Amino acid sequence: MVKRILAIVFILIIGFWMAKALDQVPFGQDRMLVGKYYLEHVKEETGAVNAVTAVVVNYRGFDTLGEVTVLFIASTGVAALLWRKKRKRTAKTEGSVVLTTGARLLLPFIMLFGVYIFIHGHLTPGGGFPGGATIATAFLFLYLAFTVYEVDHKIFEPLEGLAGVGYVTVGLIGLAIGGYFLFDWIWQTWGIGKENIGRLLSAGFIPIIYTLIGIKVGTELTGIVDNMIKEPEEGGQ
Amino acid sequence: MGEASRISRYIYTVLILFIIWLFLTSSLDPQELTIGAIFSLVVGALTYEVFTERGLGNLNPKRVLYFIAYIPYFLWAMIMANLDVAYRVLHPKRPINPGIVECKTTLTNNVGKLALANSITLTPGTITLDVKGDRYFIHWIDVKDKSVEGASENITKPFEKFLKVIFE
Repeated sequence: MVKRILAIVFILIIGFWMAKALDQVPFGQDRMLVGKYYLEHVKEETGAVNAVTAVVVNYRGFDTLGEVTVLFIASTGVAALLWRKKRKRTAKTEGSVVLTTGARLLLPFIMLFGVYIFIHGHLTPGGGFPGGATIATAFLFLYLAFTVYEVDHKIFEPLEGLAGVGYVTVGLIGLAIGGYFLFDWIWQTWGIGKENIGRLLSAGFIPIIYTLIGIKVGTELTGIVDNMIKEPEEGGQ
Repeated sequence: MGEASRISRYIYTVLILFIIWLFLTSSLDPQELTIGAIFSLVVGALTYEVFTERGLGNLNPKRVLYFIAYIPYFLWAMIMANLDVAYRVLHPKRPINPGIVECKTTLTNNVGKLALANSITLTPGTITLDVKGDRYFIHWIDVKDKSVEGASENITKPFEKFLKVIFE
């Protein structure tokens, strides 16, 4: 009881403290310093209509590479923690025909929508991470509806690695052409898509990187689900 | 009813996906169409094996026509059932007589069974609890007939005459 009261008092003090600090920031007023630059130059510098995407992939591409790395480490970490030689699904109750048929029918639509989200990253809200998560949802569906379903690991893990390598390669080509890592060579040097900003094939390497990120995130989250849903066999170590 | 050839199933999946893509983008920009076609081909290749069993056979004009006719029919059934439930909620005596009944279906195809189960659930007053083989277990808000035949007559028959043509 004393513990709980102390915790509440402590949290209230921290909350008051933070509210006090945030009080200094006026709400609804123009406080943009760097932000203004982004909004004014995003179109001619990156070709993306979606400023968030341009910041995330283009201006601050390192952060996104870091995020992808974090996800990769999470996926590898889960795999390492749960590693056993013999592991299979032990679920015994197959879903009813309504569930299994529904999952089968929805699969292509969910996947297509995931693809739609990541390929339109530079035009609409979304991008590689939501798109990839959507694709992983499609696989999660199959895992939950069918007791024996398992993705093809011979294709899945290499694909995940290839997508990551593809991202770095795009960055390295930029290093070779433009002088720094993740330089947008398609837009700045080749000028592809300059005349059709706002249409699909614009925004330099953003659609390419988001496609790779979408594939990577999709396969990675599926891999995590796959690892967590399997249990060691009886007696197997 | 056997499985259609792989090519037919693949083409059918790609076709459906491309139509969905058209609805998603709602633009006929050639760039969108090209990318959409490419991704439909890719996603179709990944998913056609689980998506469809009959392939292009689904596009039989009779089936499509029945499907289009089924939409207003189903919507009407839904509106009437909703009004019925609203009446039961608002009525001071709340005339409900709930119970779980067993129904029989003549549908053999899984997709047809899914469509029937969803149609039953979406018309308020009846909820599909489980489907086992050709038996449906349905929670009915106002049980009029406890026997299998009688319940089927009331619940599944009205939808079956359409779904039979569409999915069998």
